[in-house]
Amino acid sequence: MTEMIKLFVNGEEVEVESGKNLIDALEKVGIEIPHFCYHPALGADGNCRMCLVGIEDGRPPIVPACKTPAKEGMKVLLDADHIKKIQHDVMELEFINHPTDCPICDQAGECKLQDYYMKYEGTESRMWVPQVKKRKVQDFGGGVIHDQERCVACGRCVRFLRQITKTGELGLVKRGDDCRVEFFPGRPINNRYGLNVVDLCPVGALTSADFRFKQRAWFLKRAESICHGCSKGCNIMVDHNKEKYEDDLIYRIRPRHNEQVNGWFMCDAGRMTYKPENDNRLEECTLAGSIRPLADILADAKSRLERASKVLFLVSPSASLEQLVAVQALAEKTGAVVSAFSDGYIVKDDGDDFLIKDDKAANRTGVELLSIAKSRTHFDNTAKEADVFINFNNDLSRSLSEEQIGKLFRETWVLNAATHPGQLGAAMEGKAGSSVALRSWSEYHGVVVNCDGIAQKFVGGVMKNVERPDIVEVAAGLGSPATNEAAAWALVQKKIPALAEFGSFLELPDEGVKLTDNEAGK
Amino acid sequence: MQEAKILSAKFAIKDSNKLTVAKKHGAYKALDKLFSSKQGEVIETVKNSGLRGRGGAGFPTGMKWSFLPKGLDKPVYLAVNADESEPGTFKDRYIIARDPHLLIEGIIIACYAINSHDAYIYIRGEYTTQMEILQKAIDEAYKAGLLGKKVGKQDYRVDITIHRGAGAYICGEETALLESIEGKKGQPRSKPPFPAVEGLYACPTIINNVQSIASLPWIIQNGAMAYKRYGIESATGTHLFGISGHVEKPGVYELPFGLPLLDVINEMAGGVWKGRKLKGVIPGGSSCPVLTPEEAATATLDYASMAEHKSMFGSGGIVVLDETVSMPELALNLTQFYHHESCGQCTPCREGLGWMEKIFKKIVAGEAAMKDLNLVRELCDNIEGKTVCVLAAACTMPVRALLDKYRDEFEALLKPEPADAITEASAEQE
Repeated sequence: MTEMIKLFVNGEEVEVESGKNLIDALEKVGIEIPHFCYHPALGADGNCRMCLVGIEDGRPPIVPACKTPAKEGMKVLLDADHIKKIQHDVMELEFINHPTDCPICDQAGECKLQDYYMKYEGTESRMWVPQVKKRKVQDFGGGVIHDQERCVACGRCVRFLRQITKTGELGLVKRGDDCRVEFFPGRPINNRYGLNVVDLCPVGALTSADFRFKQRAWFLKRAESICHGCSKGCNIMVDHNKEKYEDDLIYRIRPRHNEQVNGWFMCDAGRMTYKPENDNRLEECTLAGSIRPLADILADAKSRLERASKVLFLVSPSASLEQLVAVQALAEKTGAVVSAFSDGYIVKDDGDDFLIKDDKAANRTGVELLSIAKSRTHFDNTAKEADVFINFNNDLSRSLSEEQIGKLFRETWVLNAATHPGQLGAAMEGKAGSSVALRSWSEYHGVVVNCDGIAQKFVGGVMKNVERPDIVEVAAGLGSPATNEAAAWALVQKKIPALAEFGSFLELPDEGVKLTDNEAGK
Repeated sequence: MQEAKILSAKFAIKDSNKLTVAKKHGAYKALDKLFSSKQGEVIETVKNSGLRGRGGAGFPTGMKWSFLPKGLDKPVYLAVNADESEPGTFKDRYIIARDPHLLIEGIIIACYAINSHDAYIYIRGEYTTQMEILQKAIDEAYKAGLLGKKVGKQDYRVDITIHRGAGAYICGEETALLESIEGKKGQPRSKPPFPAVEGLYACPTIINNVQSIASLPWIIQNGAMAYKRYGIESATGTHLFGISGHVEKPGVYELPFGLPLLDVINEMAGGVWKGRKLKGVIPGGSSCPVLTPEEAATATLDYASMAEHKSMFGSGGIVVLDETVSMPELALNLTQFYHHESCGQCTPCREGLGWMEKIFKKIVAGEAAMKDLNLVRELCDNIEGKTVCVLAAACTMPVRALLDKYRDEFEALLKPEPADAITEASAEQE
């Protein structure tokens, strides 16, 4: 347990965690101290002067809160007139050379300058002399666009690239109000985490080339999800919106803070995983090449399952625990064999020592916890004998060549339930069989277990115009005892006792549940 | 009135920057006494002498040394501040160019006192000849065994490295100076930690001004009591006063503390030139609030008197202003300088000084209204005291004094108010 200490804010006693600076300590109890340059992951710099607070009987009496540790008995002044005046004056100074081009700025709606103006300044401009002119649109590389005039020179981006990625592409150059962020000549941002500077930027100085001008921040709906790009399971916010007459589309993915998983950041590749969620999706269910309703396809497949002598189910190592148990239960009932063969999901030497992992599967630990076989021999041997093969959204084209896939299933009847085309290779496309277009991870919810054995919930907020079934629904339609999500979750709890205490997946704590090393099969 | 030549004793001697000449006139004599004393005793002597930092802040030198943490296994560094950049200040360059061995001797004393073996001299980039002279003197001292592994055959190592600045005023601020030596952009650090605890390369570091260091040999040789005989109780010893501006005989004069300001201007510097009237005096470098002739008449050259007159003693750079000086233009000149030298790190200074400069430009051009004048006066208060270092205050303090003491001069430049002020206000709204 963290030690608690008592201090006074505007004369009122509050209890805060010790060992934190005033900004962090008071934020936890709901008291805001405005700041631009401080960021918990980057430490205190003290350049913006927005967090100046009064300390009664303190020496000095006015201190930057970011550099001041919370101490027992401290008397912090936030709403005293002289502190309010400082906040007002510093805001006025931040603004004098700011273009205030909010109507065309992507940061509008989530901009600290806007928020603080409303809260701490709110007076008319007194800038009766010409503003400083700087460069407007500058390509910083890595998909980052810079507007020097909007910059408040807080240096968060510079510190991120020096302290976290240690690539140091950016620096603050020149002096006085000519001070600006620049990249070193000929060396723009070039690392796999560069887009984090866009989130870190408290104003609209750094924007994402991918996102800018596409949506206003206030129109975006937010879904708290987990990145399915690799086995790290970075916590993310899926920002999506359904415009009139359009489909519900994701416009960007941002990291969500989780200290025990990804901290405040995520990789650039993870951010771009929204694109395949929007584009090139399977839309229709087919039976022997013609479009048919889902019920027809499931009824057909179900009767084939009953008649088959050997059945192989292939699950995805990125599927949720609920989906995995639903398929597993179906297999137990029908005597089918389940495989999670997915060697191709592992990209050797692609990972690093920060967030990116070699394994591009979101739930391989979950597969292991449920004791689902995943070796190639097991898969090959079963596939050779199988007369019915059902793929549950495993992108087999990552692990095997088109030729290999074609050879394995030459004689087999195939049901391909997938989110995207091409998972079984193009050669299989024309093959008589069935196909089901599935929901993808941004459209369903569930639990996945990351590479460190942390079980995390995620919510799918995207509602597509085309209704698609989830794997649990497909498995249920084929006769799985897990007839719905609740039933699937009950099965998960039976197989993973550490999750037994959570009545629904939603009850999992936000920071996730660390399953014991033993349970995680490590 | 007579000069008291402690620091400037060898200034008039030909080739005094050469070791043989300097030695003939007493250089390095303090070392014998130094090495026969314990380190603690040296600090005590300097404390007792009342020597205060000569860079501008006037912090007691001995006390600064005693802030060093005890029993650390890190090295202690001495950084000598030779970044003399304050407009109106030109005393350290005399020491460096005319008696560099005095500085080197002082460095040896300071190093011994604080148990340091590595000294850095941070010299401003514009001091090219001075740097060459200093380097030659250091080379000579090494050759003569006065620097290096065994200083003066004693078992004590002192190495001196000169580090040249690139022309930034802010690098005279002690923590920006350290950043610059470390090879970074010269920007002040926020304190705490103070340099005595965590300074150069995160090691305990003492930063002293050239003149403070150069005062040490005399103090060690003659004792604290002898030094205290110069000056007054609260400000002991002598100071090199650089008198410039509108006087008949500008130059550097070494004088004890406590002398009447006007007497010094009149008797040493020959008074206001061309028989003109005095308009004001900047007593200790450009960041010190200006004194009116009435204030100058009662002020004496020491810390307490200058504080009483709501100014500062500063660096001893006295700038005399005659009746022809335009105070609005002076204010513009000052803000131009400080705006240009603001490092750009923290918001109030970065944004505020440029704003002030533009408003003064408008005032001097005769295009400003009363609201501009009131705004720039308010900005002095809004900026000061909110920053990481005191550069912003170094601008706002003298500017505030100019605005308050010579307000009518600024008002005289304003655009005449329109007959109907309401019309203007409504016109603005449109």
